[in-house]
Amino acid sequence: MNWRLFWRWAWRDLKRRWLQVAAISIIIAIGTGIYTGLGGEEEFRINSMDASYDGLNMYDIRVDLTDGSYLPHEQVVDALAEIEGIRSLEGRLIVPTQVDASNNGDVILVSGEIVGMDMQDGGLDINQVYINEGRNITEADGGNPAAVLDYKFARYYELEPGDDIHIAGNIQLDFVGSGQTPEYFMIIPESLAFFGEGSFAPIFMPLESVQQITGQAGMINNIVIVTDENADLEAVTQDIEAAFAANFAETGVDIEFKDDNNVRAMLYEDAKADQEIWDLMAFLFLAGAALAVFNLSGRMVQSQRREIGIAMALGVPRHIIALRPLMVGLQIAILGTIFGIFFGFAANTGFTSLIKDLAPLPYWDQTVHYPSLITGTIIGIVMPLVAVMLPTLRAVIVPPIDAIRSGHLVAKQGGLGKWLTYLPIPGKSFLQMPFRNIFRSPWRATFTVLGISVAIALITLFVGFLDSFVATMDEAELAYRHDSPNRFVVTLDNFYPVDSETVTSIGNDALFSNWETQLELGGMLSHNGAEFQSAITLLPMNSDIWTPMLLEGNLSDQMGTIVIADKMAEDLGVTVGDAIILEHPHREGLFSFKLVKSEVEVVGIHNNPLRPLSYMSIASQSMMGVEELTNQVVVVPVPGVSTNTVRSTLFQQAGVGSVTDIAELSNAFDDGLELFKQFLQVIQGVVIFMAFLIAFNATSINVDERVREIATMFAFGLPIRTVTRMQIVENLLIGIAGTIVGVGFGWFILQAMMSTRIEEQLDDLRLIATLQPETLLISLALGILVVGLTPLLSIRKMVRMDIPGALRVME
Amino acid sequence: MITLKHISKRFDVGDNLVTAIDDISLQINKGEFVVVLGPSGSGKTTMLNVISALDNASDGKVIIDGKDISNGGRKNHFQFRRNTISLIFQTFNLFPALTALENVQFAADMRGLDNSEQIAREMLEAVGLGARVGHFPHELSGGEQQRVAIARALATGNPIILADEPTGELDFKTGVQILQLLMNQAQEGKTVVVVTHNREISRIADRVIELSNGNIVSDGPPESGKADISELQW
Repeated sequence: MNWRLFWRWAWRDLKRRWLQVAAISIIIAIGTGIYTGLGGEEEFRINSMDASYDGLNMYDIRVDLTDGSYLPHEQVVDALAEIEGIRSLEGRLIVPTQVDASNNGDVILVSGEIVGMDMQDGGLDINQVYINEGRNITEADGGNPAAVLDYKFARYYELEPGDDIHIAGNIQLDFVGSGQTPEYFMIIPESLAFFGEGSFAPIFMPLESVQQITGQAGMINNIVIVTDENADLEAVTQDIEAAFAANFAETGVDIEFKDDNNVRAMLYEDAKADQEIWDLMAFLFLAGAALAVFNLSGRMVQSQRREIGIAMALGVPRHIIALRPLMVGLQIAILGTIFGIFFGFAANTGFTSLIKDLAPLPYWDQTVHYPSLITGTIIGIVMPLVAVMLPTLRAVIVPPIDAIRSGHLVAKQGGLGKWLTYLPIPGKSFLQMPFRNIFRSPWRATFTVLGISVAIALITLFVGFLDSFVATMDEAELAYRHDSPNRFVVTLDNFYPVDSETVTSIGNDALFSNWETQLELGGMLSHNGAEFQSAITLLPMNSDIWTPMLLEGNLSDQMGTIVIADKMAEDLGVTVGDAIILEHPHREGLFSFKLVKSEVEVVGIHNNPLRPLSYMSIASQSMMGVEELTNQVVVVPVPGVSTNTVRSTLFQQAGVGSVTDIAELSNAFDDGLELFKQFLQVIQGVVIFMAFLIAFNATSINVDERVREIATMFAFGLPIRTVTRMQIVENLLIGIAGTIVGVGFGWFILQAMMSTRIEEQLDDLRLIATLQPETLLISLALGILVVGLTPLLSIRKMVRMDIPGALRVME
Repeated sequence: MITLKHISKRFDVGDNLVTAIDDISLQINKGEFVVVLGPSGSGKTTMLNVISALDNASDGKVIIDGKDISNGGRKNHFQFRRNTISLIFQTFNLFPALTALENVQFAADMRGLDNSEQIAREMLEAVGLGARVGHFPHELSGGEQQRVAIARALATGNPIILADEPTGELDFKTGVQILQLLMNQAQEGKTVVVVTHNREISRIADRVIELSNGNIVSDGPPESGKADISELQW
């Protein structure tokens, strides 16, 4: 074997086919790069979260006093300090508020929460604040309005330390820094399941300062606890409950472990569930790449078939003959690996920066994920070699004469192709030609169709995710708004008598044409062992402002009746007329509530896809011990009054905790979707690029394979545009078939994922699997057009064709 | 009909300039059956390519029906080939995905003719393949494929037929059948130019142009007079 000749020959092969080799390599690189780049995301996120939660010393146990309850700080600390297993504890005062962060002419009025933190004895120990900008609050700030704003909120509005910040009651804060603390690594407003960094402002202040602002001197409503390393959390919990029962019998508590914190749980679950989606996406990319590589590499070998036959006729050993086509596979493998490293790095960098943007953490732990890197590299090398090996083996095992005779005899076919060639096709021969070309090699066409269909399936899947979230949120918005879209819900900072000055001064403001009071309380609904958290609103069921829209049942004024979401009904396994258990707060004293269980009857099922939302008649307030009290006022502005006017006015009112404009409820969700949309656009771009490469290579190889046919058409005077048109029709047929299969496949995966993974991940939502016609059409158009128009890129090749030379190619 | 004036064609082969045809001038009249004869490398196929505007001459003029096509540009060349000439190749160059009928129909469609299917059937009938219209090229013998190629050339209705070694891949009997078909076309008024290295074929031509090293070495009727096709043997 003359190796110099062999390498020279291989080099010439590469020079002749470099564009096809490069295109196949890039297809592989996209597949393996995405697999490698996204393979370690779960590990990266979980390591980073572990580092962040540990770094800021997140609580092991959080104790919330029942809504509206306050207890003296020192008494609580004394009552809990001696419990075995508690290493340290800190009391906090958390109150809702309205935040005015208007700066530089921008009106920023949002709901928020002030977290009063115990800075004494050297500052925070539990749930520390990581400072991104400015400085932290210190013990010396106690009693002063020094405040650290949540970093995500500050970033969203580009607020910097020193900017004006006011809270309800028109109290100016000293904005000293922005930072992050474990419970707020992601902002999840109560009303929506998604990002609320632009619509909700957590503010961290010294405990004493918050006590002063709220008039709750010396009081707390929340305790965070760190336990000893091997403490029995259940035992500690029982001791805490016993201590409260003994010392504060009239006050109920809600105890939560670190792992149950909804933000923490969501972040960890997200990391795991997202990885499944990325794995699926990477698998689809790899599958698309594999289909394309097997198809295209095989065709490249096929085009060497005659030369293989000649070598066989000359007596060259088969394993030597096989080396040359295998070199093509090796070239693709090497280039694919090199490109794959770049794609993997780009995918990883892009995705990691998206994660860092979407859910910023104080600490990041980014290391190379070797398992996916090694697997991706092996796949990238093995895939093209196997793809080339199979047709090579086929080519070298036939008798030499069959390999040499690569002309008309090769066109002989059996099976599907044989029958398809006889399928009558109406129309002129120009129209028949594209169909005939597809039918003459149906398996090859099928591989191309499948490669493109995987790309389209990916687009469908991601567009479907987006559409489904949007449709679900639209449904939620419709349910919130349906017969009163202009109302505002004013959440008070405490319970007030319905005829108190605080309440009536809000309702009777000249800005409002109508108003009423309601109550909102947290609770737990259970039935036959299943139990779910619920936000229960008690409202007049004959309200002329707003009542829930029912799918089933009726609104009832009766005490002890409840309207629940259809998702709640399904998850509890109940329907209208069934009795369920409601665990709810019961007022025991001025600032103390206890949790009690009552049986309530399901009288209606409403249409809001958010499971936690439940509604009861205002008559049920006696069940809660809150007769003639309210913590929410619903107001309807007179026509022409702007949201900012309403917010500004209410901001001045004493007792106002937060103001929610029903019309703008979905803004937070829309903001969150923006990032997802950007990510989607990048994915769409990559997918379209892959579909383009598959189509480009298929067309390019078609032109090479059919060079004599094309030359014959030119010899007969058929213009290049007509030949191109026929190729476009052929590609359009492939593109349409690929798109139809891809949309169907994508829709199937979407529904499967919605009903399994996503439903588990976002179990508070009834997700509506949807594919909007407009977005679907855009995807289809992109898929079909990109594939269909690819032959335009072969025009240059045809213009430069040596027609006489091509016509004399020997068969 | 076909006039070549001082035609030369040179190719760059690496650092060398190879002259394929060198200052050739000739005229071929309507209805003539001309055989261009010469050994491999004599320039006969290059001359055919220049006449059919598949290739441009380096020097000289190609005038077809009074029109100079030498410098017409790609678009005009395509149009010229579509409307004026029909090519027949040694290797048939049929479209493997199309049946015999569809291959012939394709040429008629390309020419923009109405009733292309009817024309295709008539042409296949004329070349004796009326019973094989639904067959694909790989289901036909070499001779049958060349007859389909001739039917395809005839279906355009173009006045000039250029055939490059049309019998090169065929056995004697089939080759004679093909030549008969081409002669018939000349008798019906078409100009037929056949390029071949087979001296025997030149015996049935109206005129024989012999090339050697890119030059015309003889031009006239067959040396021993025009023979009947039945007298051929090779």
